[in-house]
Amino acid sequence: MTKVLVLTQRSVREALRTPEALLPTLFIPLFFLVVNVGQAARIFPSGSTPFLAGQNYAAFQLPSSLLLAASFGSAALYLVEDIEGGYFDKLRAAPVPRTAIIFGRLGAEALKTTAIASTMVLIALPFGITIASGFLGFALLILLTASWAVVFSGFMQLIALKTRSAAATNSAGLIFFPLLFLTPSFVPRPLLTKPMEIAATYNPVTYIMEAMRSIVLQDLDWPVIARGYGVVAILGVVMVSLSVRSIRRYD
Amino acid sequence: MALAIEAEQLVKRYTGRGGDVEAVRGVDLRVEEGEVFGFLGPNGAGKSTTVRMLTTLMTITSGSARVAGVDVTADPDTARQRIGVALQEAGLDVRQTGRELVMLQARLFDMSREQAAARAEELLELVDLVESADRRIKGYSGGMKRRLDLASALVHEPDVLFLDEPTTGLDPASRLTVWDELQRINERGTTIFLTTQYLEEADQLCDRLAIIDGGVLVGEGTPAELKAGLRQRHGLTYEPTLDEVFLAATGRTRERVAGEVQEVQA
Repeated sequence: MTKVLVLTQRSVREALRTPEALLPTLFIPLFFLVVNVGQAARIFPSGSTPFLAGQNYAAFQLPSSLLLAASFGSAALYLVEDIEGGYFDKLRAAPVPRTAIIFGRLGAEALKTTAIASTMVLIALPFGITIASGFLGFALLILLTASWAVVFSGFMQLIALKTRSAAATNSAGLIFFPLLFLTPSFVPRPLLTKPMEIAATYNPVTYIMEAMRSIVLQDLDWPVIARGYGVVAILGVVMVSLSVRSIRRYD
Repeated sequence: MALAIEAEQLVKRYTGRGGDVEAVRGVDLRVEEGEVFGFLGPNGAGKSTTVRMLTTLMTITSGSARVAGVDVTADPDTARQRIGVALQEAGLDVRQTGRELVMLQARLFDMSREQAAARAEELLELVDLVESADRRIKGYSGGMKRRLDLASALVHEPDVLFLDEPTTGLDPASRLTVWDELQRINERGTTIFLTTQYLEEADQLCDRLAIIDGGVLVGEGTPAELKAGLRQRHGLTYEPTLDEVFLAATGRTRERVAGEVQEVQA
């Protein structure tokens, strides 16, 4: 456990010393939030749009932006740097459990996403967005966002370990776009066209987004929240297990 | 004397893009405790692959290896406790400071924060990096990086230190500094296994040498034995240099090895 913490601290330090990589993970999602709301808010006025539950369209869009903020997978890009620079071998030649190398980076990713997601919500509050489910809801929202960051970074780390290439890892990150856009990101699922609704139903990110949205727009809706957390838990176990397996077989 | 490294019939085979490759083909090694052992060979001869197998970084296809008395395949974690590793191209996290890097390494070897801080100070002094210890590694010169890499490989006072081309790319002054440090480390009782392409370096530093080519050992002995052997075999009337030994052992000509093996004068 100490080794995971030591490696997490190192990864946090690394992120803080690379502001040029850290700041876009805050500003790009905020940019998308502003643009999406700017384009569609007048179509969905809060007074006459039932799915907004009395809030403005920005509140509906906030989960998409949080998911985007959690999907940069920068932990994997730092891992590729370690592999290419030789530091990864230095770690592997030390008596460090392979799982600690994976969890150290994922721990830092969770902490970083917690900070970024909290900042995003705090920035959003003065613009009329409220977390309807209160402080517990806020905590659940941030935890779910951070958990998704761990899942997505786990996937990216898997690609990094398999390919050992920054270009391939970067390209793999683009999978987030279909994952994010084949969801009810602009309107709830029942309002999507049939093909989009089918795609969204099969997309696991849909359930995470719906859980986040319910936290923002409604009081705590436990079945919906549990479904979101369940999806993250299953994907997390799969991604982390595959990453650990991959690092153990790394030759 | 006890053996620090003992390898029997080491083989590494893997499938590359061009098909099956046998990078190491039955290498036997016996390195005694306290020795500085040089492992020479041209590029692609199997030096680094052998080092990676001995340091648990690569699986062994067949054969066996014991380092500091530990079977590296059966008990890699114990082996890692007893070895220090500085691989080709100093493997450092350049966003950290020198002190942070050495302390992190010490923490990974189960030292407390206080022990790690004290050990870092001691090692940074040993490699003469105290003044730049709190600067980011990104700004270090090549020689400083190599010395820091050495320091981080020594945090746990390893029984055996593996160095893969520790002076490649260094200027003569930095090379001399690294040589001095290696001699000091060896005097403290650490066995050193180093690969190098610099024959002068091997001649200066190593008690014994092995030459590998095409994945097999083609010569082994002290520098003096290897030179005397060549002198006898070829009836030479002068003392041959180590690069002549190398050329004879690998069946290469000077033209063919251009760019593969270099002789340097530090």
